[in-house]
Amino acid sequence: MSTTAVPATDIKASVKEYILTKFLPGEDPNMLEDTTPLITGGVLDSISTVELVSFLEEQYGVEFEAHEMSADYLDTLDQIAATVQSKSA
Amino acid sequence: MDFTFTEEQKILRDEVIRFAQKELNEGIVERDRAQEFDRSLWEKCGEMGLQGLPVPEEYGGIGADPLTTAVVLEALGYGCRDGGLVFGICAHILACVVPVVKHGTDDQKQRYLPGLSDGSMIAVNGISEPGSGSDAFAMQTHAVARDGGFVLNGTKTFSSNGPVADLAVVYAVTDPGKGYHGGITAFLVESDTPGYTRGQKFEKMGLRTCPIGELILEDVFVPEENVIGGVGGGGPIFAQSMEWERACLVASHVGAMERLLEDAVQYARERKASGQPIGRFQAVAHRLADSKVRLEASRLLTYQAASKLDRDRKVGLDASIAKLFVSEAFVDSSMDAIRTLGGYGFMAEYEAERALRDSVGGTLYSGTNDIQRNIIARWLGLKTSE
Repeated sequence: MSTTAVPATDIKASVKEYILTKFLPGEDPNMLEDTTPLITGGVLDSISTVELVSFLEEQYGVEFEAHEMSADYLDTLDQIAATVQSKSA
Repeated sequence: MDFTFTEEQKILRDEVIRFAQKELNEGIVERDRAQEFDRSLWEKCGEMGLQGLPVPEEYGGIGADPLTTAVVLEALGYGCRDGGLVFGICAHILACVVPVVKHGTDDQKQRYLPGLSDGSMIAVNGISEPGSGSDAFAMQTHAVARDGGFVLNGTKTFSSNGPVADLAVVYAVTDPGKGYHGGITAFLVESDTPGYTRGQKFEKMGLRTCPIGELILEDVFVPEENVIGGVGGGGPIFAQSMEWERACLVASHVGAMERLLEDAVQYARERKASGQPIGRFQAVAHRLADSKVRLEASRLLTYQAASKLDRDRKVGLDASIAKLFVSEAFVDSSMDAIRTLGGYGFMAEYEAERALRDSVGGTLYSGTNDIQRNIIARWLGLKTSE
């Protein structure tokens, strides 16, 4: 899928659903907000970060560099959407 | 999946087996006893192109894909009875060359890959520390930005090739608050850099022809052009190098297991007890049948993992499964070879005892097998305690 026309709200909704299903089964969706810390908050470890990046690359046709698989780029839904959008610019 | 060899893979495999059998095996019992690394053998392997297997041709390598790399390392493990030399080459390629190939700048590739490929340079991976092994990212070695580069301080230990290496891939903390996720950076450090010293060399149980020791970094200045993959990218770079190591290093075990099995079968056909070859005794035959099953399962797991490198970010699961299974199969099959050879298997000149000693290392390096089980469980969605 191309990222060209994907709004941030759509990216966040898709990623939120993926994280809830994959890493937080049974969790109240309202607990996962756009600013909830995922890496620094312990939701994503090194392996689940790889899984998330794999999901983003397949879903949006983008590629991540090693240093981008970090809290600076992927710690919140807001950051994830911004990172994905910046890669499609 | 179809793993039928291509013509190129067949040619490479056969060439490497012939080369290894002819050039690398003489004097191995004595070298093992003396813990002697023979640099001339390293250079011969470089001339053969082994150290440059995954390196693009434009940088002096042969540009093999990951599966072909595994097939060739399997051939090396089959033909070469010097497990330490094979291990040293694998560590050099998989933990040091691969990060430069995958994440290095063009300048880094031009400066280092030709020498790393042709056998004129030896590389060491600097990750384990006296206080952090399995929890590698609890490392104390740190790097502080200064004057267009970084100043590194710390001590690395259990560094294979360390006592003879010309270049180190060193992982250091650049942001203590971030840990694996952005807090670790990978650096290329030349061994003649002021402040870099080779520390204590260790004696070990197996793989004795591959020297292992400490690396000591005291105010080592590394220019920023020697950062691999960007500041903070060290965690994923190391993780990827371990995926390559877990998937491809065990290929050399597969080759060694095949050789051990062939030796044991031949012995079981020739050695007689109570008037008949011992291979006619079911206890012996079944043991060798089990070794054959372990060999073929190991080969398939290895090829499956190697074939996913560079194609699937989630190869980490396959790599850990292959590493765990093959390394334990190697120990079991080495032990079974000794059981078949009986008293001769216990003697150094028959070499099965060395294979057993070498095989134990495989359960420890590239992440212990306890860690592999943790990783596999985490891929299953089970949160294991670290």
